Amino acid sequence: MPADISDQTLDFLLARAGLDLTPAQKAELKSVYPGIAAMAERVRKPRGIMAEPAHAYGFNPADLGEDL
Amino acid sequence: MAAPAIPTIAEAAKRIAAKQLSPVELTRACLDRVRALDDRLHAFVHLTEERALAEAREAERAIMAGGPKGPLHGIPIGLKDIVDTKGIPTTCGSKILQDNIPDTDAACAESLAEAGTVLIGKTTTHEFADGGPSFDLPKPPARNPWNTDHFTAGSSSGTGAAVAAGLILGGIGTDTGGSIRGPAALCGIAGIKPTYGLVSRAGVAPAAFSLDHIGPMAWTSEDCALMLQALAGYDARDPASADRPVPNYTAALGSGIKGLKVGVIHHFHEVDYKVSPGTQRGIDGTISALRELGAEIREVQLSPLQDWQACGSLISITERASAYDEWARTRLGDFSERVQRRLMLGALVSGVDYVQAVRRRRELRAELKAAMAGLDIVLTAAAPGEAPKIDNVPIWDVFDRPSFTIPFNVAGYPAMSICAGYGEGGLPVAVQLVGKPFDEATLFRVADAFEKATPHRNARPALA
Repeated sequence: MPADISDQTLDFLLARAGLDLTPAQKAELKSVYPGIAAMAERVRKPRGIMAEPAHAYGFNPADLGEDL
Repeated sequence: MAAPAIPTIAEAAKRIAAKQLSPVELTRACLDRVRALDDRLHAFVHLTEERALAEAREAERAIMAGGPKGPLHGIPIGLKDIVDTKGIPTTCGSKILQDNIPDTDAACAESLAEAGTVLIGKTTTHEFADGGPSFDLPKPPARNPWNTDHFTAGSSSGTGAAVAAGLILGGIGTDTGGSIRGPAALCGIAGIKPTYGLVSRAGVAPAAFSLDHIGPMAWTSEDCALMLQALAGYDARDPASADRPVPNYTAALGSGIKGLKVGVIHHFHEVDYKVSPGTQRGIDGTISALRELGAEIREVQLSPLQDWQACGSLISITERASAYDEWARTRLGDFSERVQRRLMLGALVSGVDYVQAVRRRRELRAELKAAMAGLDIVLTAAAPGEAPKIDNVPIWDVFDRPSFTIPFNVAGYPAMSICAGYGEGGLPVAVQLVGKPFDEATLFRVADAFEKATPHRNARPALA
């Protein structure tokens, strides 16, 4: 993940998110992008394809309708 | 039956049961303090005075007729204003919900009402439990009763201030990254974020679904235990609710902590982010006190605090942006500037970033589980230092410093902030105790032993 972001890319991401920001808000958001990039880098570890996310699903009686 | 100045819940419950304290007089005393102090504290956004007095009278009638139904019967409390309350405004601190009056109670409001509590009012929150302090909301932010120029932390800011100042004896907070433990720390009270799934989230506005917790805040850990007893339990309305028996949280209080094993995550608060000298003294004093009480102290090593912060923040930013997506697209300008900034961040996190964070979450939880094998609790800071000035709180604090509390939202483990003394300017400092999943009872046992062995519960804010 690059540590900075172009105006064009930021505009694309904001348009995709449906957010209508002022130029000042865009500038501020651009200024904190390195912080997000650093966080994304921290969670991206070499873990292989089998590493599951924390919320992989487990059926319980309520999910199966056994409590009805 | 004169009301004592500011009793704890446990003290008041004993006196109410002995018919030495009237719930009506206790409620009037709280309302008097609200009238005297809340112009300076801004702890409440909505008072329910008439309802409170009616509930107190009914509690008194029932108690005189047949005794209390439990230790919370007749106890004045507050509910954070993101908790739905039937027929009572629930604004989430936002312009967007200024006219919102729910037609049902949240599960936690229902549980406390069934236990016989008296609702004094709805307490101030950061907007939708995020950001803050904000000065561009319909109501001003809560202020710290130890010094009203200072911040309470948030987002359960009103509950923290109201409990510390004795406007209520206990209250509800919510905690997505530290919103119970932060205000508890800075206001010098006790607050517990229980295990994820222990207390139903039904009827409480979300901040980040998989990190959100509901919990009690009170002057002492014993009071938190009494409140959690009423709050814990399975609720089919909450898809994350844990279906398991609820233990007696006060059974082991007073039994001592000799032989309990306490791990200290020194590197969190001494290397990864150095806490203030006052907080470090509070932590060191807590460790010494626990050792003197017979606990065995061990060293614990985890991934750096910044790893937990990155994982929790990416999840929080994305889940929040998802929850408030519709309003962010159509009414962004109606949010406070601070919350607008938080919602904007959602555009910068990709789907892959989010899932990588959730995969990292599984690894970090496994790491904590392994580190706690053979230990009863672990200990670290609850906050980086004493309360900052309310006009000097960083806008982008999520990038400025890691949170000491978010690791245990990431893990879902129970974690509690208790007062560990007083630092610079006489402001409270705190320590955080963390237990194993669903073992809140051990946290209460340790916290209660510590509080009763130290003098930190003897002083209230001067304005109270």
